Amino acid sequence: MIDLIHVSKRFGAAAAVNDISLSIAEGELCVLVGTSGCGKSTTLRMINRLIEHSEGEIHIDGQQIRRFREEALRRRMGYAIQSTGLFPHWTVARNIGLVPRLLKWPAAQVQARVEELMELLGLSMEQFAGKYPHQLSGGQAQRVGVARALAADPDILLMDEPFGALDPITRESLQDELRELQARLHKTIVFVTHDMDEALRLADHLVVMHQGRIVQQGRPLELLREPADDFVESLLGGEDRGLKEAALLPVSQRMRPLSPRLLARERIGQHASLREALSLMLWRHAERLTVVDDADMPVGELSLRRLVGERSDD
Amino acid sequence: MRSQTPGTNVVLLSLSLLALVVWLGLDTVSLAANRIVPGTGYRIDEILGWGGALATCLPWLALVGIAWRPTRPRLVLALALVVLMLSALPAWLALSAETLVDIPGARLGIGAGIWVVLFLLLLALIELRTRLVLGRLLGWGLLLPPVASAGFCLARWLEPLALWQEYRSRSDQFLGAVGEHLLLVGVAVGTSLALGVGLALAMRRWPGVQKVGFGVLNFLQTIPSIALFGLLLAPLAWLSANVDWLSALGVSGIGWAPALLALVGYSLLPMVRNTFVALEAVDPGVVDAARGMGMSRGQVFRQVRLPLALPVILEGVRITTVQAIGLTAVAALIGAGGLGTFIFQGLGQAAMDLVLLGALPILVLALLVDALLGALTDILRPGGAE
Repeated sequence: MIDLIHVSKRFGAAAAVNDISLSIAEGELCVLVGTSGCGKSTTLRMINRLIEHSEGEIHIDGQQIRRFREEALRRRMGYAIQSTGLFPHWTVARNIGLVPRLLKWPAAQVQARVEELMELLGLSMEQFAGKYPHQLSGGQAQRVGVARALAADPDILLMDEPFGALDPITRESLQDELRELQARLHKTIVFVTHDMDEALRLADHLVVMHQGRIVQQGRPLELLREPADDFVESLLGGEDRGLKEAALLPVSQRMRPLSPRLLARERIGQHASLREALSLMLWRHAERLTVVDDADMPVGELSLRRLVGERSDD
Repeated sequence: MRSQTPGTNVVLLSLSLLALVVWLGLDTVSLAANRIVPGTGYRIDEILGWGGALATCLPWLALVGIAWRPTRPRLVLALALVVLMLSALPAWLALSAETLVDIPGARLGIGAGIWVVLFLLLLALIELRTRLVLGRLLGWGLLLPPVASAGFCLARWLEPLALWQEYRSRSDQFLGAVGEHLLLVGVAVGTSLALGVGLALAMRRWPGVQKVGFGVLNFLQTIPSIALFGLLLAPLAWLSANVDWLSALGVSGIGWAPALLALVGYSLLPMVRNTFVALEAVDPGVVDAARGMGMSRGQVFRQVRLPLALPVILEGVRITTVQAIGLTAVAALIGAGGLGTFIFQGLGQAAMDLVLLGALPILVLALLVDALLGALTDILRPGGAE
């Protein structure tokens, strides 16, 4: 649980962050999104005191962060950044074990934890443990970065554009992995990005920042449906908003029970998004899809009229 | 088909052709009746006759042939040939001594031909080592047979060799001079390393120090070394006359004190510059991550910044040491001792072999230090690779 109460950060006369209040619930993935220079990274770095806030209060679980020693505070939070920040002179295993060693865990426990994390992140022990960062691909290095952030099992994870430097395919697969990880681990995550698609894919709680202020926050769908102003609307993609919303909604929400008619030839999984369903319809020139479950058994059907919304149906 | 066969190795080809011309065209040895008179030069054909001279060209022609169409097994053969020829040079000197020297006390000088051929052979050795991708240790091991051969020939047959005569008449001073030389270099480099690291750290903390510091050090570097010795003479003489404990230490206007001061002065710039740049150049992302993970400032410095900077700092130590080994030779002028003493004595007596007795060990020392510190830098590079 992280609370920012009327927090500001001034560099000289200029305010990088101007009087923001934000409450991040436990187990929530909160994404700070905005153009560069909007203060999102500064906000993140104030939470682990890499930058000291000038005004206001920041609380972790109800306690002011200034009451902790800086190092002790940071060791309680995972930290992953765009450039990975892996130590080039340390092996992958040693990099991952950094924070547990700082916390003076016994060596055997550190070793066990490193093995556990490498397995969690899909990095095989014999293949990667002894490698150096310059021998890894971008995606592998960022996986190691995330593993290192998770090493001491912190409740809070701070991630500053961690996937920003990766190619689109690697980025998407890491986003999926992060969501799966989060479904299992339930960390409180603060995630900074300038990529709105990434923000919409990941966020439970989306915070749009502009010129040092929070312009709107809420669930991704709320923001998509009711943007507070033109800035939020343009950031959310203007004309692409319909598709962005469709990408957030699963097929299962709009499908109808199976009708006595013949099954449509084209099939789609019930967990796929409406956007994928629409794309399939366009591609196959189909107005009707059969919705199937994980075992490929038909469970419903989706027509183009249902897909585009309920109002046109009645 | 040209593309099927390996391309000509131009480096090896030109080295061996050039060596062939030099071997036949320049004096290989010179002979003088005593230390004063200038020697008479002898070309190879004047010692062996043209038949013998042409016979000694066979290994060179073999090298030319290999360079024309090199394959890996042929290059290994070429390497063996080069090592063999390096080992044969002392034997050649021994043979010349046996043939030419007829009066006792005559002095055999090493001619320009031998020096140039030695140089070309070493270049060929380096080229072949690179082509065959030999390890550092093996590369150095290749020099063992020539060194052993030189030692053996010196002990048995090369009594008339002028360089050897100069050494034997000063053998008791020689080791002392090497010791003095190394001591001066060691103390100077050690002092400037300690000062340099301190200064670099201060520069990182206070930008003002950085500007002034680099200004002063750059200025120091531009003063010619002999002028610096001269400039230090008066203040040091005054100090030793007025401060008792300094004169008790042996500080005076000439001798080791001004030499050491000047050496440290010259060594500081490369040391500070490399240390400063090395510490600054550490990836800010890595430092940010280290701090964000909860490392204290001291831990970031000791575990991250310093180890990452170490190879570049060592590079500074290497440059500084090689430079100091050369500069220390000049310090003999003001009575600081070391191998430079032989050089200046030799210059004074017009005895070139005595100059060589000082210059050659300096060269060897510089090369050795260069190689050792280079190897250390490679070992300490992040990940031990790249």
